[in-house]
Amino acid sequence: MAKDLAINMIIREIFYFLSIFLFVFIGLEMVWPNIILAYFNLNYLFLLCFLSGLVSLIKK
Amino acid sequence: MIKSFWLKWSFLFKFRLFLGLILFIAVAFFLYLKIIPFGYITYSRDYTSKFNSGKGFIYGFTPAERVDLKSAEVPLMIGDPIYFSLFTPRTFDKAKMTIVYRDNLSLNKPLVEAGVLVDNTVWRYDLKPVDNKGLDYLMLTWHKIEENGRLFLQKNDNYSSLAEWEKDLASGELKDCAGGPGNCLAVYNYTPPYNYQMTNYRTAVPIAFDKPLRGAHQFYVYLKNEVLRLDMSFVDLNQGIKPAPIEIILSQNNKTITTRRLDDANLSPGSGLIEEKQILIEEKNLPAGVYKVEIKISDDVVIKKIISSVDRLAFINKVWPVSSNGELTLYTDADYLQVKALSPASLQDISFGGQEFNLNETYRQFDFKTSAIEKIKTIKLKKDDVILENNGVFAWAPSSLFNPSLPKVDRFFSVKTAAKYIVADYKKPSEEEGFKTATVEFDLKGAYREKGKYSFMISVPGLKIEDSAKDNLEIYEIKIELAGRTLWQKIWQ
Repeated sequence: MAKDLAINMIIREIFYFLSIFLFVFIGLEMVWPNIILAYFNLNYLFLLCFLSGLVSLIKK
Repeated sequence: MIKSFWLKWSFLFKFRLFLGLILFIAVAFFLYLKIIPFGYITYSRDYTSKFNSGKGFIYGFTPAERVDLKSAEVPLMIGDPIYFSLFTPRTFDKAKMTIVYRDNLSLNKPLVEAGVLVDNTVWRYDLKPVDNKGLDYLMLTWHKIEENGRLFLQKNDNYSSLAEWEKDLASGELKDCAGGPGNCLAVYNYTPPYNYQMTNYRTAVPIAFDKPLRGAHQFYVYLKNEVLRLDMSFVDLNQGIKPAPIEIILSQNNKTITTRRLDDANLSPGSGLIEEKQILIEEKNLPAGVYKVEIKISDDVVIKKIISSVDRLAFINKVWPVSSNGELTLYTDADYLQVKALSPASLQDISFGGQEFNLNETYRQFDFKTSAIEKIKTIKLKKDDVILENNGVFAWAPSSLFNPSLPKVDRFFSVKTAAKYIVADYKKPSEEEGFKTATVEFDLKGAYREKGKYSFMISVPGLKIEDSAKDNLEIYEIKIELAGRTLWQKIWQ
């Protein structure tokens, strides 16, 4: 039970972290276009964020 | 201390701290790549690789119809020229471009050049040599000396060094060269310390050129203790929406003497309402010699009339006569002509050097080569609004025609010409199993940059989509090393 709670918490924290990561990168892109997109496709990050959110919801 | 920290804080706090640290490192990493504090970075694009994690810095080739992306695993350049943009997060001073390619070009297309856009008004690219098969061939058959990064080729072994040859050139007496250096010297990507002397000089007379010319033009004038007065009338067509400033640059040996600029308030963009403008250049006490006048205007502006105090006035490389309403006769010193018609009304038969050539398609560049042996060839146009280009000069009267520039080792150069000496700033590309690697350097200080992008061009003169030849240039990799000021230099200097 406690283990499940810990896993749920980690997944939720990863979702929060990826969401913040995504918003920070989008913000950086808005200020300095291409700063991230030239190196890294933000769609991958969005997909990870979406999946972690989905897993977090299912686990809940 | 560390142990007490780990025990004091909860697992959640420590986990959040860890993720926050990752975020901080990632942001710092991208900011580092944005600022490039050490002023040096390399961007590359491998066209054999299919995987791209981001948009990259070297964008795709344009226009799309000149690049074949389907026939091979790498882009094939099938038309000339092609362009690509380089995104940089900041400005740089120098660029070193390395291009890996395989050329499937026929012998009549011996040149490959690369350039960076330096002037967006007249779309001028600073072109540098990538490959010159003409020079590569002559390196094997003529006497070759490489000195101070320059290539010096001699038909006969008259000089033991380039410095010795330059000494004779300065005195105007080259060995084995009758008629002056202009008759036996050819150059490529190099301007030697050579002063043109007009052989059949006569006193200049004032003249009015009232044949309208559209877009940017350049011309030479030759002065000998004469006043230079150029009274130029322009018409802004206002067909485009962008402002159309007019800039005139008078220079000698690449040194600017004077400039005139007329800004455009752009009060009626795209309206089609014409505006007349005038610029006067008057220079007294100019030393004898050749002067270059560069008229930097967009295609939305027409040079209506030039009243000149000297009649020795020859247009360099290009003329675009418009609105003359009648037959036109021009003269050129080159034996080929590139012609492009922009409207069906301009299609016609052109007489060049006494031979008839058919201009039967719009927006296609035709290459007409005359077999006329006269030094000055006549061009007769029945209709105007055609762009005429070659590597020589154009004039409206034979007496105005003179060409102070030295012959160039370009795609029209023939070893049968009188050239006995060639000086070039050129390095042959290295070759391994058919793959060629060439490096060219650009000065980016004067390069045009818009929305964080520099524009580059790759040119293979004479490469056309329309012709039946299957010529192409396979581009495998482009690598651009950029160097600029460091962060500390930006802050403190």
